[in-house]
Amino acid sequence: MFLTRSEYDRGVNTFSPEGRLFQVEYAIEAIKLGSTTVGIKTPEGVVLGVEKRVQSPLLEASSVEKIMEIDSHLGCAMSGLTADARTMIDHARVTSQNHAFTYDEKIMVESVTQAVCDLALRFGESMENEDAMMSRPFGVALLIAGIDELGPQLYHTDPSGTFVRYEAKAIGSGSEAAQAELQDKFHKQMTLQEAQQLTLKVLKDVMEEKLDKHNVQLAQVTPQTGFEILSEEKLQSIIDAM
Amino acid sequence: MSIMSYNGGSIVAMVGKDCVAIASDLRLGNQALTIATNFEKVFPVTDRLYVGLPGLATDVVTLRERFRFRVNMYTIKEEREIEPETFAHLVSSTLYERRFGPYFVEPVIAGLEKGTNKPFIATTDLIGCLTLPKDFAVAGTASDKLFGVAEGLWEPDLEPEDLFETISQTLMNAVDRDAFSGWGAIVHLITPDQVITRTLKARMD
Amino acid sequence: MSPTVGPVSRDFNPYSDNGGTILAIAGEDFAVVAGDTRQSEGYNIQTRYAPKVFRLTDKAVLAVNGFAADGNMFVKKVKQRLEWYRHAHGKDMQLRAIARMIQTMLYAKRFFPYYVYNILGGIEEDGSGAVYSFDPVGSYEREACRAAGAAQSLVQPFLDNQIYFKNQTPAIDAPFPRHLPLSHVLSIVTDSFTSATERHIEVGDGLEIYIILAKGKTLSGLGLDGVKGLSEVTSTVDDSDGSASEGESLAEGERIFVLRRELKKD
Repeated sequence: MFLTRSEYDRGVNTFSPEGRLFQVEYAIEAIKLGSTTVGIKTPEGVVLGVEKRVQSPLLEASSVEKIMEIDSHLGCAMSGLTADARTMIDHARVTSQNHAFTYDEKIMVESVTQAVCDLALRFGESMENEDAMMSRPFGVALLIAGIDELGPQLYHTDPSGTFVRYEAKAIGSGSEAAQAELQDKFHKQMTLQEAQQLTLKVLKDVMEEKLDKHNVQLAQVTPQTGFEILSEEKLQSIIDAM
Repeated sequence: MSIMSYNGGSIVAMVGKDCVAIASDLRLGNQALTIATNFEKVFPVTDRLYVGLPGLATDVVTLRERFRFRVNMYTIKEEREIEPETFAHLVSSTLYERRFGPYFVEPVIAGLEKGTNKPFIATTDLIGCLTLPKDFAVAGTASDKLFGVAEGLWEPDLEPEDLFETISQTLMNAVDRDAFSGWGAIVHLITPDQVITRTLKARMD
Repeated sequence: MSPTVGPVSRDFNPYSDNGGTILAIAGEDFAVVAGDTRQSEGYNIQTRYAPKVFRLTDKAVLAVNGFAADGNMFVKKVKQRLEWYRHAHGKDMQLRAIARMIQTMLYAKRFFPYYVYNILGGIEEDGSGAVYSFDPVGSYEREACRAAGAAQSLVQPFLDNQIYFKNQTPAIDAPFPRHLPLSHVLSIVTDSFTSATERHIEVGDGLEIYIILAKGKTLSGLGLDGVKGLSEVTSTVDDSDGSASEGESLAEGERIFVLRRELKKD
């Protein structure tokens, strides 16, 4: 199936004659296997939602962590190899804390995103006398949500280290259908509540299982309370309101 | 640590229009430890002439007595009160006698000349080198601060009450920035008719 | 038999004191940062014009005093960091951010310090005038006014009296103002430096006063039009002749002016 690529899909930083980095492209493919993740920006804040695939009735759903805090004004949702995201989020947290320590101010959303993406391309063979750092690209995409002096923002990063700002974005296995639905239903003047509803609606439509408070997680970043993962009670009331 | 700042304390004298003022803080310390807050360093020489003696407290007391002795001898021999300028030279020669084992004191003198009521201020170093400023004289552990504030606040021909305000503000704001001076202050305002002595309500820390 | 040679100690002092004095005062919607221009070493005057006050951004001015070599290098490094920040974050650094950065830069050299006292003046994000003062290893504080350098001991108690109204009692119906008008602040600054010049041998030659105005403020609005020796140095103003005309400035944000005065040269 991939025979034609045999020469160039081994070395992680070797271009193919057509100018492609296959390992990076494969990494981007890996995200499409991940669970669906949605982010929506509104004037009142940013909402993040993820599908948690509860593989077994014995699995403790609360132990599946796909939305994490970077700083009090920054949150992050992931899709793909979530283990890789730990490294990236750890880097984002350190960057954010260092910024606050050095400049006595909150880091901007674009700046943490940039910092995470700088890390994304540090794979490949080490230089002489240097320890190899990472052997392969990250297999995860992130939705970084936050608020700074420019207002609420939502960024998408992928394993190539590219980052783009979105008003609403879906990633992961159901992303195509989800993105289409977002494009249809999103409007700029959404309230936070509408965004919460839309996030759940989009997730519900692409999920195989029936959506409940155990197999989805919702988080938001608002000017009032900063980043917060919504409690099961809050989540339930939003589900009830659907 | 210099012996000049062993006990702490500061003096300032200023010239006004037909008046002079001399003021001091009230602290007596043993290095950083405050021993007393009623240690006056300005003494009357005649009823229109005062001398301030900042420096080593033991020498302050000794010199006060030596000056009292010499001024009394002068008064008896000359059968008249000593004039400010004469007293300044008396201070100078008394200190220079101890050129190689000095009293650790830098006197400040303030008074009105007899008849003319011309203001006179003077200061000497610890071996008696005289300086005769026409505006103000400072000495003690806060002397640099006193120079700064006095240079900013003083102006020529101040009336007695304005001179009092100027010298009080100068002293208090200077000693508040000096750990070795402060803990109360006293001002002597010398006019042709009277000497007004006031203790100031100052910071006590 | 060869003579025994004991250990020989040699010492090298990498620092020197180049005298001079700096001073900054914060107003309600402006800040003033000033410094004399004499640079000396011992009794020797190296130059009569060595600036100690530097424009960092359109809302921040830094004064450095102490060891001139360290001071100049420090300002250079601060400016470099400001440019890096602009490239990384796409905006000018806020005053409080500069203040914190200066702390980390100074403390980074805790065991071989920049022998410099820094005073940072400018306009805060909320539009208020601000002064931050630092010690050589980065301890810092926001204040209404601060003097540093050779004549600090002469100037600071004067400022206590004239800015903070220390040892003064307000009249019952007239409390002391929390902020002084610009023209008043400028006379206090000039008086401070003429006084220091009079009594301190390391202070004199020239005086540079930087005035930082908050957004939307004008010199005439603050009662300062037609003052001689005043020129605008706001980055957006391309003012080659240097004269500060009160015409419409290109600057939309904060504005910076320099006022130069002679001081006695003896």
